Amino acid sequence: MRFLALLKKELRECLPWLLIAAIAFLVLGGLALRLMIQSGAPFRYPYHFSPGSTVNRYLLRASPLLSTTGVWLFFISIVLGLALGIRQFFIPHFSRTWGFTIHRSINKLTILCAKLFVAAIAFIISLGTVWLLIYWYASLPEILPFLPEPRLFIEGWILIAMGFTVYLGTALAGLSKARWYTTKVFPLAFVLVIIATTVSQWKLSTAFAVMIIGSLILLSQIIHTFLNREF
Amino acid sequence: MALWIQILPGLDKPIYAQIVAQISENVAKGELLPGDKLPAVRKLAAELVINPNTVARAYNVLEQAGLVTTKTGSGTFISDPKLRTTDAADINMLTERMDTIITRGINLGLKSGDLVAMFKERLGKFANKQKSGKKKK
Amino acid sequence: MTETVLETYGLTKYYGGTLALDNMDLKIPRGCICGFVGRNAAGKTTAIKLMLGLLKPTAGSAKLLGCDSQNLTPAIRQRIGYVTEGHHLFHWMSIASLEKFQRAFFPKQWDDRFFSEMIEYFELPKNKKIKHLSHGQRAQVSLALALAPNPELLVMDDPTLGLDTAIRRQFLEGMIQLIMQQGRTVFFSSHILGDVERVSDRIVVIDKGVIRADCSLEQFREAVKKVKLSFSDCPPAQLDIEGLLHCRRSEKELELILIGTDDEKIKQWADSAAAIKYSIVKMNLEDQFIEFTAPPNHKKLFQWEKN
Repeated sequence: MRFLALLKKELRECLPWLLIAAIAFLVLGGLALRLMIQSGAPFRYPYHFSPGSTVNRYLLRASPLLSTTGVWLFFISIVLGLALGIRQFFIPHFSRTWGFTIHRSINKLTILCAKLFVAAIAFIISLGTVWLLIYWYASLPEILPFLPEPRLFIEGWILIAMGFTVYLGTALAGLSKARWYTTKVFPLAFVLVIIATTVSQWKLSTAFAVMIIGSLILLSQIIHTFLNREF
Repeated sequence: MALWIQILPGLDKPIYAQIVAQISENVAKGELLPGDKLPAVRKLAAELVINPNTVARAYNVLEQAGLVTTKTGSGTFISDPKLRTTDAADINMLTERMDTIITRGINLGLKSGDLVAMFKERLGKFANKQKSGKKKK
Repeated sequence: MTETVLETYGLTKYYGGTLALDNMDLKIPRGCICGFVGRNAAGKTTAIKLMLGLLKPTAGSAKLLGCDSQNLTPAIRQRIGYVTEGHHLFHWMSIASLEKFQRAFFPKQWDDRFFSEMIEYFELPKNKKIKHLSHGQRAQVSLALALAPNPELLVMDDPTLGLDTAIRRQFLEGMIQLIMQQGRTVFFSSHILGDVERVSDRIVVIDKGVIRADCSLEQFREAVKKVKLSFSDCPPAQLDIEGLLHCRRSEKELELILIGTDDEKIKQWADSAAAIKYSIVKMNLEDQFIEFTAPPNHKKLFQWEKN
């Protein structure tokens, strides 16, 4: 009952951003797809991700979806990550509501979990479902005949996961009590490194690994900071 | 019988002392008669928006001065005047007050004869009230 | 034996190099209404946040309801009501949503009727959002949210700051109602001494991070005295009177602030110091507080010279 109340509250706070991201991606991503199809644009390359023999087929056929719609997904995902991180971890400081939030008959960790859980759900529901929708639509035989291409679908999710990593970095920055021009921005710098590393990976599995390791590092720091922080 | 007590925080007289003073005055004027019941501590505290302990203290002081008696379970009642005693501290306080009044009077230009006359008149009013109060009962 | 509901042991807090709280020792028994008074930035909020585990002490410890402040369990927090400084609430929520939110954490204790009556009494529409409320109205909601679960211990950080007289009175009424229930304790910080005088039975004075007084309100009122003495010549240089806190000299006069000195002893000293006359100046609680926390050689800021 208590956890549910927290979830509801966090969800309601994230809802506007959730909706904006979903709608923006649907519109912009969808438009990009339509435009690409209509213009019959020659396939562009090379795209960083893939090595080996699957490359050519992939690059030649599938990458345009990522290089147009995918770019929008990347951008919106990052913005959503920033927005949620700010909403959940910066705004309580500015609106001075940490005291009211923390003094509750519930474990501190549970309070944090509610926030993280809602953010994860937000990414999955808003961007995930729209991506699924766009991918499904693009996979229709009359749209992009060479689809479905599993790898492409997965890369979309990696882009979404990158947004979640940005969220974790923003969260950690928000929780840090340092000044903005010192260690407060380190988490965001760390996130930039992760993204750069991920994007430059050749193998999908390595890309995933980098993301997961980076996220886990951020997550452990977030938990540690939250539990030991002064409010 | 309506007991109207007013207190003001921020005076140099502590709140409990203000209550004591007002109840004492009521008794002296005959507005509170022997046997009358004072409001319950909690009720008065809620009404005046003060700590119940302050009211309790005031009632204690009144009890020690012999003005009231507390019967556990029933409440606090104005005591029989015959049972009251005075002590040096009370007399002291009385003299202090008298000095204040005399000072004022003299500064206003009144002579001792005028002051005595005024005193007698006020005493008379009190006595009348007490008598009529007793008649009511 | 009365149980201690709030205790601190050598509680100290440094912010970098600044000492915010210096070795605070406190023991508040159950059933007490304790007024925590101090000037601005005296350390009141720091002390309260330390007690609630929102800050970490540099040294020392605190306990609420027998539980260490740094490890307050959810079960203990359930028994403690807290009104934060500034009454900050989630500004996007309506009063009704806040009620639902708060109530979820007190499944068995929440007094629905009490909360609704309080909100009704304050004439606040339940569907109004917090961001559309004035500070005073927000404070009312804050108090209702803290009182409705009927907490055993109510800790309030300057609950009446920024409130008008009428709302302040309502706050106090709420506090009195709470304290009339058995076993409730209130610890509140304030710099409105009139409020403290009304409802507290105990006073804790803090000045520049140091606890200067911790006693019943009665004792404080009776202990802090101001004595004015005049002399035919220079006042004595040596002031060996017991309980002397401050003294102010002028040409032929002396003003002493004494703590806990008998009237008898004052008279004796005045005689022995050959004072022409002396008087024990009557002070209200505010005067007493000001004198008690005044710096030793305090000068008056405004001094009008005769031209």
